Amino acid sequence: MILIRSIIRPFLLGSIIFFIFSFGNKVKAQDGKALFSQNCASCHAIDKKLTGPALKGVEDRWGGDRKKLHAWIHNSQAYLKTGDSYAVNLFNENNKIPMNAFPSLSDKDIDAILDYVKDWKPATTPAAATAGSGAPVQEGDNTLLFGILTLILAVIAFILLQVNSNLRKLSDSKEGVVSAEPIPFWKNRTYIAFVVIVLFLVGGYYTTKSAIGLGRNKDYQPIQPIYYSHKVHAGVNQINCLYCHGGAQDSKQASIPSLNVCMNCHAAINEYKGEKIYNEEGEEVNGTDQIKKLYEYAGFIPGKPWDPAKAKPIEWVKIHNLPDHVYFNHSQHIKAGKVQCQTCHGEITKMDEVKQFADLSMGWCINCHRTTQVQFKENGFYSIYEKYHEDLKNRKIDSAKGITVETIGGTECQKCHY
Amino acid sequence: MKKLFIITFSIAFIAIVVSCNEVKRKPNNVYVPDMAYSRAYETYADHSNLAQEGINYTNLPVAGTIARGEEFPFPLTKDMPGDTVNYAASKLIKSPIDSLSKKDYVEAERLYLINCAICHGTKLDGNGPLYKGGDGPYPAKPATLVGNATYEAMPEGQMFYSVMYGKNLMGSYASQLTRKQRWQIIRYIKMKQAQNNSGAAATAKN
Repeated sequence: MILIRSIIRPFLLGSIIFFIFSFGNKVKAQDGKALFSQNCASCHAIDKKLTGPALKGVEDRWGGDRKKLHAWIHNSQAYLKTGDSYAVNLFNENNKIPMNAFPSLSDKDIDAILDYVKDWKPATTPAAATAGSGAPVQEGDNTLLFGILTLILAVIAFILLQVNSNLRKLSDSKEGVVSAEPIPFWKNRTYIAFVVIVLFLVGGYYTTKSAIGLGRNKDYQPIQPIYYSHKVHAGVNQINCLYCHGGAQDSKQASIPSLNVCMNCHAAINEYKGEKIYNEEGEEVNGTDQIKKLYEYAGFIPGKPWDPAKAKPIEWVKIHNLPDHVYFNHSQHIKAGKVQCQTCHGEITKMDEVKQFADLSMGWCINCHRTTQVQFKENGFYSIYEKYHEDLKNRKIDSAKGITVETIGGTECQKCHY
Repeated sequence: MKKLFIITFSIAFIAIVVSCNEVKRKPNNVYVPDMAYSRAYETYADHSNLAQEGINYTNLPVAGTIARGEEFPFPLTKDMPGDTVNYAASKLIKSPIDSLSKKDYVEAERLYLINCAICHGTKLDGNGPLYKGGDGPYPAKPATLVGNATYEAMPEGQMFYSVMYGKNLMGSYASQLTRKQRWQIIRYIKMKQAQNNSGAAATAKN
């Protein structure tokens, strides 16, 4: 009994101490994380070089001496003057960007951060979890099925007609009526007329359709020099259209972003970790490789400062193209008309590869101008149309229909053709 | 003979149907190309051979041009790598904009949400959709504009320096925002910081 008690007592004591210690340790690690994200995360990641080096194994690299690290973090420029060879090398390797001084961090805070860095483990990648989702299922198109059905019905009709004529021939010969020598079907006038009419209809349909379709490019979806997914950028990551296409609110052109706009984010984002992307042919696209292509155009080497002078422009393929005899101005629609981008370009936020959503025909433009109501509210551009305001007030204009773009001259020829 | 006719017809039919389902990678033909494609030099056309053809076309306005309604240029140039002289000096530069009218405030907010909020967050908390508390694709933590003493104390001139030339991993926004817009956005950030500190909803001065 005494023996047992003498064993239990130190065991209990030990476990209590252990609990206190581990609990205290946990609080410290939590603090470390908060401190890290407040003070360090702007320039350092643990497993990746950003403005500053990756912090994993930082203590080993400094020879395990936390005192040196304390001094360095408190004021790196002052520490550099001591001539520590590792510090000087570090400074030079990182493009001589001085690290901010953190005099407000106590030695304890820095220790907490270092402990956090030491115990940090990479999170399991979300890509692995979604790996099973597989390729997108192709939407079934029934056109082929209907075509085959029609063909089969046509063949059956043809056979029935043949059977009918054979039966009549048989019954005729039974009754003793002398029938004329049977005409083969390719010489039969009815058949020839039928085929000619069908050919005329089908041929006429396609001729008319292709004539109307000349210069129209609905669903046009060219292969671009870089597989740039609008779904990933504007959809998943919620980047505003106008972040890249800022010209749409100020000028005729929506403007294609120059490389420095890409590099605003991609100087730091050098790998793709989101859900798998598939191109229209169903092949998987490696996002990280596409970012590397961007770096080639930009002349950017990760970890080095970027020199925009080395960049070569990317020659994107223009998709939405109006003929030269049509005037179209983006800012007039976006800023004055307050039209959403998606009205004409479709659900860009769901398209990996952009395709032309509208046929951009004149009928399509005019239809929209006829039905779209002018947004007078908080829109200084239209303050001159006070007469309409009065007319609406006095019920001279049907308020259900409102004032459409057509009312203010939106279907005049010279509006777009001059 | 009959069978041959049927077989060829059905194959042709299927070929037509199948070819219609392909992804449209090539543009359609046009009717009268010289009316469809511009004879004049349009935006994004190939301008590289203009000099050889003797066409005097300058891509950029003359150095020092100031657009109508635009603010005066920022007097400091970008620091050389490893140098912070101009960054430090930018603290002393005053903003030409003292206050935002209600209309300008709305516009500055709109511009902030388009250009800045993607990283710095709609609440200016440094947690935009690209960072998402470390889960987003952006590896570095964007600056916490509201609620961080460093940025609350940062003079407007220094903020302008960072927006104009970039700082750490942030790139330059000089190509996306005019000088006036940049000063307006910085004023907006300062107003948001003041709102947060006073606690009361500060109203935009009219």
